Amino acid sequence: MIAVLALIAGVVAGILVEPTVPVALQPYLPIAVVAALDAVFGGLRAKLDGVFDDKQFVISFVSNVLVAAFIVFLGDKLGVGGQLSTGVVVVLGVRIFGNVAAIRRHLFKA
Amino acid sequence: MIQPVGQRFAPDFLTELFRHPLDPGYADAAARRASHGPRPPWRRRGAFALRVLALLVIGFLLAVAYRVAVRAEPESTRAHTGLVEQVKAAQAGSDALRDQDDQLRRQVTLAQQQALGGTAEQLRQILIQQAAVGLAPVTGPGVVVRLTDAAAPIDPNTGKTSGAEVNRVLDVDLQAVVNALWATGAEAIAINGQRLTALSTIRTAGATVLVDFHPVLSPYEVSAIGSAELAGRFGQTTAAAELRDLVSRYGLGFSTRTEDHLALPAASGPTLQYAHPPVTPTSGAPR
Repeated sequence: MIAVLALIAGVVAGILVEPTVPVALQPYLPIAVVAALDAVFGGLRAKLDGVFDDKQFVISFVSNVLVAAFIVFLGDKLGVGGQLSTGVVVVLGVRIFGNVAAIRRHLFKA
Repeated sequence: MIQPVGQRFAPDFLTELFRHPLDPGYADAAARRASHGPRPPWRRRGAFALRVLALLVIGFLLAVAYRVAVRAEPESTRAHTGLVEQVKAAQAGSDALRDQDDQLRRQVTLAQQQALGGTAEQLRQILIQQAAVGLAPVTGPGVVVRLTDAAAPIDPNTGKTSGAEVNRVLDVDLQAVVNALWATGAEAIAINGQRLTALSTIRTAGATVLVDFHPVLSPYEVSAIGSAELAGRFGQTTAAAELRDLVSRYGLGFSTRTEDHLALPAASGPTLQYAHPPVTPTSGAPR
C-alpha cells in the first residue's frame, strides 16, 4: 500500500516540479524507464511469490538503471548508436513480459 | 533445479531468461532468510525506507520521461505548423496589400473622373482600355470551362483510395485552354477569380498550379467573357479536343457551360519595366 502511494507521490512530484532534463541526459531517459519498469514488475512478482526483499529490490533498480545507461553511453561512444540499447530493451522486455505473465497468473489464476 | 553456485546464467542465456524472468537474487534472499532467520528490525526499517525512496524515484522518472517524450515527439509536426503559420501570415499580408492596391486604383479612377469631367470621351477611352488589358473589373456573358483533377485511384486490394499519385490538371492544360479562349475571341479571362492580363503566367510549382504566383486548386474554373458563339468555337479548338482525349485516357474532369452574367475582377496592377539609357555614354560605336 505504502509502496503504491510512494509511486503515485513520485509521479505527482514529477508532474508538479516540471524539471527540465538536460539535453545530454535525454537519450538515457527511455532506457532508464524500461529498466525501472523491469525492477517494479520484478518486485511486484516477488511480492506475490512471497519472496520480496527490500535490499534486492533497491539494488536491482539502481543497478538496472546504471547498467542500462552505461550501455547506451557505450553504444554512443562506439558509434553503434541504438543497437546496443536494442539488446537492453530485448532482455528487459522479455523479463517484464515474463514477470507480468506471472503476476497475471497470481491475480487471475489464468 | 540444481544449479552450481556462481553459474547462475546457463550457457543458453535467452532460454533461461524466458523460463525464469524473475531476478535470481530474490530467491537467494529468501533462502538466506530461511537459513539465517529474519534481519534485525533496524535493518528492516532502513531497507523499507530505501524501498519507498526507490519507488518515489521511479514514479518521478516515469513522469519526467513522459513529459520529455510528449514535448519531443511532435518536433517535426511543430516545424510543419510553424511553416504553415508563416505561409498563412504572408498570404494574409499579400491579400491586405492587394486590397490596398484596389482601393488606391479606385482613388486613381475618381481622380481621373474629376480631372476629365464625368462624361469626357477620354475617360470612356481609359475605362475601355483598362478593361481590355485587365486592370478594371468587367461583367458580361461568356463561358466557364471547368477542369478537375482525376479522382484518387482506388486500391483494388483494400477498396480504399490509395496514396498513389492522382492524375492532375497541369499548367500546360490550363495554358492551352486560356490560349484557345483568347484565340476564339474571349475579351477577358480569369482562372478561379484570378484575372489574366497579357503579362500573366501560369506555371507549376511542385504539384500546385500558380497563376501570377498565386496558387490555384482543382476544380479550375476558367471564366471567359465573350460573344455568344465563344462556347461553340472553343469546343472546336484542338485544345478542347486534346482535353477530351485526356478525359477519356486519364479521367480528368472537363466541362464547358455558358453563363449570361459573369463578373471578373481586375488583375493586380502590372509591374511595368522600362528601359533606361546608361547615364554615361559607352565608348565606341554600337556594333
